Order: sequence, then structure tokens, then C-alpha cells
Amino acid sequence: MMIKEVITVILLLVGCFFFLAGTLGVLRFPDLFSRLHALTKADNLGLGFIAAGMALHIASPWAALKIISIWLFTLLASSTTCYLIARFQKEQDQPKNGKEPG
Amino acid sequence: MSVLIDLLLAILTVYLALQCLLAQRLSQSVFLFFAFGLALALAWVRLGAVDVAITEAAIAAGFMGVLFLDALRDFSPAVSENQEDLKAVQNPPSKNATKSLLLPRLALGLGLGLFLLIALEAVWKTPDGGGLTAAAVALLPESGVEHPVTAVLLNFRAYDTWLEIGVILLGLLAIYAAGGINLYRKPGVAAKDPLLRQVILFSTPVLFLFGAFLLYFGKTGPGGAFQAAVLWGAIGIMLHLGGWPVFAVLPRWLGQLILTLGLGFFLVLGFLFMARGDALFEYPPAYAGILILIVETLAAISIAAALTTIYANINQMQEEPKQNESTT
Amino acid sequence: METYQIYILTSAVLFVIGMGGVFMARHFIKKIIATIIMGGGVFLCFVSFAQRDALTFADPVPHALVITGIVVAVASAAFALALARRIYQLTGEESFTNDK
Repeated sequence: MMIKEVITVILLLVGCFFFLAGTLGVLRFPDLFSRLHALTKADNLGLGFIAAGMALHIASPWAALKIISIWLFTLLASSTTCYLIARFQKEQDQPKNGKEPG
Repeated sequence: MSVLIDLLLAILTVYLALQCLLAQRLSQSVFLFFAFGLALALAWVRLGAVDVAITEAAIAAGFMGVLFLDALRDFSPAVSENQEDLKAVQNPPSKNATKSLLLPRLALGLGLGLFLLIALEAVWKTPDGGGLTAAAVALLPESGVEHPVTAVLLNFRAYDTWLEIGVILLGLLAIYAAGGINLYRKPGVAAKDPLLRQVILFSTPVLFLFGAFLLYFGKTGPGGAFQAAVLWGAIGIMLHLGGWPVFAVLPRWLGQLILTLGLGFFLVLGFLFMARGDALFEYPPAYAGILILIVETLAAISIAAALTTIYANINQMQEEPKQNESTT
Repeated sequence: METYQIYILTSAVLFVIGMGGVFMARHFIKKIIATIIMGGGVFLCFVSFAQRDALTFADPVPHALVITGIVVAVASAAFALALARRIYQLTGEESFTNDK
């Protein structure tokens, strides 16, 4: 019982760390593509850790399954959004052709 | 410890609301509005109102945010330079503030401050009324559902809910009137992107299933017609964006039938109850559960259709020929 | 300090912020957002009182009212948005003032 709680806490802390890193990246990175990178990759990793921690913490396996499926759907949605935003930006940049450093 | 979380959340909500109104660019405003809605949803979870949290996150933050995002395409991205905002109240002698505007602004700031004090005082000292919890608990076994919020929404105060469905339809009619009624002139451009198409096609049944789950789950827990309706409305909006405008392929009468189905069935049911000698919307306790489920399903379909149509109509307003293009 | 008291105070502050926004904001969209924030304050007040009056569960009547209210607020805000976009299309104005 004790071990499980410790693992949960560790997983949540790691998740928070990735969230912090992702947020820092969004705030500090220079251009849209690297910001997207930070937002989608780091934050989804953080969310995954938090979901894993909560799934471990919660008693019933069905609720754990629901939490994991939340993470999977977030992954799907955020990667699609990332792709769409990046493609839109790339199409916007095309006529200007490399004015902004990638 | 939990008070600390509440304090942080309260400060975050207020901060997001302020930033949302103070933001320089319109797009910042809109995205902060998303964040504000989600923070408010968290506050509602903290207050034990999970139904409200789902509704807020789905309708107020999600649907409204989508409408605002869509509006961003229309309005020019650069906000006008001489934009005065709340900041002007806080530091009165701003340079470009003309003398004539200074006095009203000071008065407004003072008035708002005074109002805040009065509101805080009034809200703080509201006497314990006891509320209607006891009455709801007493009547819950007769309502046909086990979740108190659903019981109030669909049984005890069904008249309000019926009117609300009417208000959504009324809003749709008003939007028709504002934007001209030539909806679905063209069937929309199909999304070129194969990935987008596949994701939309994948998430359509998933969202439908999730909406149906929420609808059915409303009987025993947080969920119900409105939450399900927003999810189904999201399907409609996504299909519209992906190049399959669902209502364009339906014949006009069928679309109108779907839009009015919830309202109409609810009303017919109420009249049937009246014909039996009961009050309007007084369910017979034996059939209340199944009747509520039917009403909820039809209402959810109607609301979803109305939300989709509102979005599609507002979305297509932009494509009408502009009569005055030289102003920007 | 109880949970509901914090949110009651927040609700009053939100309402006043929204009210200030309605008066001070220039752009249509900001005005609409301000009205929604105002509504959010009112709803928060309702739900806080529901939490105060909780027995085994929170008072369901304010919850139902708030759900109804959110949907109505969104419907009216959508209508306001449609009007704003129409005004912009027809006149090119983004706010009520025309002393630019």
C-alpha cells in the first residue's frame, strides 16, 4: 500500500515537471514550431505521467481505463491540432520563403 | 490545504478574467477566454457541481470559444490603437486620455469599486435560508431518476428546461434574421487534408458514443441532455469543418423537424399530462424514468442540431460578399 | 474560511470585472466576453450558495438553474456575435464608437 502511494506521488511529480518544462517552452521559445513542439510533446508526456499516477491511485480498474483513455484521446487531439497549426503556418510562410529562421 | 487550492483557483480565475479583458490583441483575449472557462469549470468541480462543470467546459468554453475563434477570421487582427481598457481606470492620468473622458472614467471606477463593496457585503451576509435541498431529497424517489440535478432539470422544473430549449431555437432564429436566411448555399469546401478527414471520421462515432453515455448516465450521475447535446453538436461542427455539412444533405423539412423535435415532443407530452388532469409536465411516477429518457434524447438531438446550425450559419456569414471593403 | 466563502467573494469580483469590461471595452468581442464573465460571476454565486446549503448532496435547484443559465447565456452571446459580425460586414465598424 505504501509503495503504491510513493509511486503515485513520484509519477505525479514527474508529470508536473514535464508540464512545467512544456509551459516554460511555450513562454520562452522563439517561433511557432518550437513552441508547438514544447506544447504538444512535453505536455502530453506530463499528462501521461499524471494519468498513470491517477490510474494507479484509483481503486477500480474501469476508472483507471477511463483515465488512460482520456490520455489517449488527448494525444490524438493534440497531435492532430499540432499538425494542422504547423501546416497552416508553413503554407503561410511559403510565399515569403524563408524570411523567418526556422 | 484544500483551502489553499481554492484560493489559488479563485485568484487564477480573477486574473484570467482581468487579463482576458485587458489583452491587447483580440486573439489573446479569445484564448484567455478559453482558459477562463476551464478555470471556472475547475472551480465548479471544487464546489461539487460536476454537471455544471461539464456544461461550462463544453458549452461556455468550448462552443463559445469556437464561435469566437471563428469570428477572429472576420475581424481584423490588429486591434485599433486608441483602445482604452480597464487599465485606464487604475492609473487615471494616462497621457492620451482626453479631459472629457477622464471624469466619466473616474466616476465609473469609483462606482464599480463601491458596487464591489456593496456586493461583497451583501453576499457575505446572506442569511442561511436552508435552500431547497430537503424538498428535493424528499421528492427524489418520485422523480424517476436518481441524480438530483437531472430530477430538477427534467422533472421538478421541466418548464424551465422546456423554455430553455425554446430560447436556443429563438437564438437560432435571431441569427438567421441577422445573417440572412440563405444558409447552406454551397455545400462547403471539402477538407483537403487526408489526416484531418481521417481524424474526424474516427472521432465521430467515439464522440457519439460518449454523448450517448453521458445522456444515459444522467439518470444516476453527472451528465444529461445538455452535456450530451454539446458533444453531438461538436460532431456536427467537426463534420461541417471537415467538408461534410450534415444539414445540407438533409431535405429542408427534415432539418426543421429535427430542430423542433425536442421542443415539440416536450410540449405534446405536457399537453397529454394536462389532458389526463395533471399539471403541465407532471410525470406519472411509474413512467417518469422512461419518459424523461425519451425527452432527454429528443431534446439532446434538437439542441445538438441547433448548435451545429448556429455555428454553420455564423461560419458562413463571412462568405457573403462584403459591401464595404475599403474601410479596413 | 470555507470553500464556498472563497468562491462567493470570487463571484462578486468576477461580476464587477465583467461589468467594468462591458463599459470600458471597445471591441464587440471583448464586450461579449465581458458579459459572459459577468454571467460567470452570477453563476458562481448560485453554486456557492448551493454548496452552503448542502445536506447529503449540494442543493440541486441552483445547479439546474445554472445549467439552464449557461445555455441561455451562450445562445444570447452567439446572437450578439452574429450581430457584431453583421455590423462589421456592413459598416466595417469594430466598436460602437465612431470617433476614430
